[in-house]
Amino acid sequence: MSDAAMDLFVGLSAVLTGIDKSKLAPSLDPVNIKKTYFDYAQNKAANEFPKLLDIYQRNQSLPAAQIGDIVLNQSGDDICYLARSVMLMWYLGSWYDPAELRKYNGQHPPSDPGPAFAVISSDAYTRGWTWSVAQAHPMGYSNLHHGYWSTLPPSLQDFIGGGS
Amino acid sequence: MSAALNNSFDVVIVGAGVAGALIAKQLGLAGKKVLILESGAGLPPNINAFLERFYTARAKVPEIPYTPELFDPPGGSNLQDPTLINAPRPSVLALDKNWQDPKQSYLIQEGPLAFGSTYERVAGGTMRHWLGTTLRFVPNDFRMQTEYQQLVNWPFGYSELESWYSEAEKEIGVSADSTEQAYLGITFPPGYKYPMKAIVPSLVDQAVKQGITGMSFESINLTVTGTPAGRNSQPYQNRPVCAGNTNCIPICPIQAKYDPSVTLGQALDTGNVQIWPQTVASEIVLEGSGRVSEIRYVQYQQPGGPQTGSGSVTAKLFVIAAHAIETPKLLLMSTNQGRTPNGVANSSGQLGRNLMDHPLYLAWALMPRPVFPYRGPLSTSGIESVRDGDFRKKRAAFRIEIGNEGWNFPINDPWTTTVDFVNGLNQSGLNPIGGGKPQTLFGTDLVSSLNDRLTRQFRLGFLVEQSPDSSNRVTLAGEKDHLELPRPKIHYDISPYTRAGLGAAVEASDQIFSRLGARQFTTDPAADDPSALDVPVNGKTKRIKFFGSGHIVGTYCMGTAKANSVVNPEQRSWDHPNLFLVGSGVFPTVATGNPSLTIAALALWAAQTIKKDLG
Repeated sequence: MSDAAMDLFVGLSAVLTGIDKSKLAPSLDPVNIKKTYFDYAQNKAANEFPKLLDIYQRNQSLPAAQIGDIVLNQSGDDICYLARSVMLMWYLGSWYDPAELRKYNGQHPPSDPGPAFAVISSDAYTRGWTWSVAQAHPMGYSNLHHGYWSTLPPSLQDFIGGGS
Repeated sequence: MSAALNNSFDVVIVGAGVAGALIAKQLGLAGKKVLILESGAGLPPNINAFLERFYTARAKVPEIPYTPELFDPPGGSNLQDPTLINAPRPSVLALDKNWQDPKQSYLIQEGPLAFGSTYERVAGGTMRHWLGTTLRFVPNDFRMQTEYQQLVNWPFGYSELESWYSEAEKEIGVSADSTEQAYLGITFPPGYKYPMKAIVPSLVDQAVKQGITGMSFESINLTVTGTPAGRNSQPYQNRPVCAGNTNCIPICPIQAKYDPSVTLGQALDTGNVQIWPQTVASEIVLEGSGRVSEIRYVQYQQPGGPQTGSGSVTAKLFVIAAHAIETPKLLLMSTNQGRTPNGVANSSGQLGRNLMDHPLYLAWALMPRPVFPYRGPLSTSGIESVRDGDFRKKRAAFRIEIGNEGWNFPINDPWTTTVDFVNGLNQSGLNPIGGGKPQTLFGTDLVSSLNDRLTRQFRLGFLVEQSPDSSNRVTLAGEKDHLELPRPKIHYDISPYTRAGLGAAVEASDQIFSRLGARQFTTDPAADDPSALDVPVNGKTKRIKFFGSGHIVGTYCMGTAKANSVVNPEQRSWDHPNLFLVGSGVFPTVATGNPSLTIAALALWAAQTIKKDLG
């Protein structure tokens, strides 16, 4: 994996997740989670993952909404579901295989357990972004102080970055 | 530890849970030689393996951090076959449409309803995964027959237990305010202070409190009360303060929440207590006089490995503290070559009967404004004012637990809602709210939609008092575990009295959500859900889902007469004077509070009696 490929992965991930690049991939990250995720996606989708990065490379100067539309709606199912897998990887620290997501697209029988997935690692679990989007912390992993729960959390922007 | 060794102790205790640990510590401090036989793994040097198992698990259920592994292979998706495990345990994951499959469920469930509560077989016991709620029972919980002509009385009242509650609060380390806890007749000695100041309420608590101020249900004012917690609000017992990891169940990552490994460590520190792990008691042996002479055991090294030893231990006095399913199982197994065909301590025929729980009704809703769940301990307040009243003549009482973990319990959020918005599904009911074609979102739209939904989630849990019913019972199944020991067979149903309480819980949740302006999303149970039942709601019949609360109670109830109870008010077997049965199995009723503090209080009381016996 080259630095350039990693930059593309982080840039694409920021567009898809809505989390600022500086938060997704901070310069100081002791567990280097972006590499974990890059390698995981590369390993799980050896053919499509480079294509996904290539699509982003060709369109990266466009506004985020357009890039997302191209990736998710105009590049075929293989790319669309891989992009969704990448989003869920960042949000939940887990791998939902594209084929599994495709199986459940728009349909989910009531007593069915839903798309199968695997938690990538304990580090991945504790870095899931869905918790930050909830202005909270992963269940079982809080670096906060006693009593924090009785007062308002920081703003959403403080959690996910970006904005003015 | 040697398979062939015979050993003698002052006291042998079966089970290294909270009751066994507290008694062992008290006896150890008094210089008595104590052996604890623990069927599962012993005390680990730290909780790192538990945490790693939790973090990497897909299903973060109460049992997941502990051993034996729930899945075969570990991390896979197939539940371990209990036939292949030496000391198997139940799991809520077995409660699907295959709930009666003995290759999936350790408990052999006869029905008609599924028994939904689980327990651990590991040093530290089931309080490894407890919530930390340390409510005292209210005085009328002890005198239901006298006060309301329902259920049964306990053989003593609140006033006799009060000082033991205080002792238990010290041992566990409880954070609470005695002024706030003095309701419905609960009393404290003048000037009583809990060991630590109360845990502060969450934003969810504050919103509910503000919203329901002045509201009543069935003419009872609804009052939000801080919940006494076995979690540290200041450093205690060399453990840190709670950092609000929102993970009391299944595991506190920093051990700010008490668990019985704390007491076990203190017991071992006395120098008079030993624990033998992976040692499963297999028979309680009687001598001619009716006294217990020894306990036989079998041993193993690996959860699925071969038996590696067997033997027996003798003592002056024996304590069975293996919780309310394994304790009667062991006693029923102990037939003494036909001398006790119905088991030990069973002259009343009541052994194994009156299995109870708090059937839990879960209701969830979206608040009109953010309340910021997924923060703080799992629960910090409840509505306790509804625990007692004249209504108990007609229906079961409940307490209402306010959850701080959003919709994690009801629908496994935030996973479900996140997948919904990314993959265009609507399992949560939130994509979109009110139904229609699900959206697939990305980028800032995804962030804002998830933030809007997740920050407004909250849930209420109604823990309903289940009436004692002699047909709800534990017996021995024909199915065996890997050590060829019988597995527990469970017959379980819920009485009309308790169903009426569940129906009132539905009515109360509807009214509370309405008052709060919250939109309810509670779903109906699936057609094949074994934990669903009909209850009366507003004069009609409604089918609802109930959960186990993990409050396994009854099965060797205490009473005032040998003919109709298993132990006397001292928790001593009526039949065998040197045999004590402790834990929640002695409760004549499940009452209206979570059971752990009362288990601890009664264990400390039993320890005092045992010390006197030993002289």
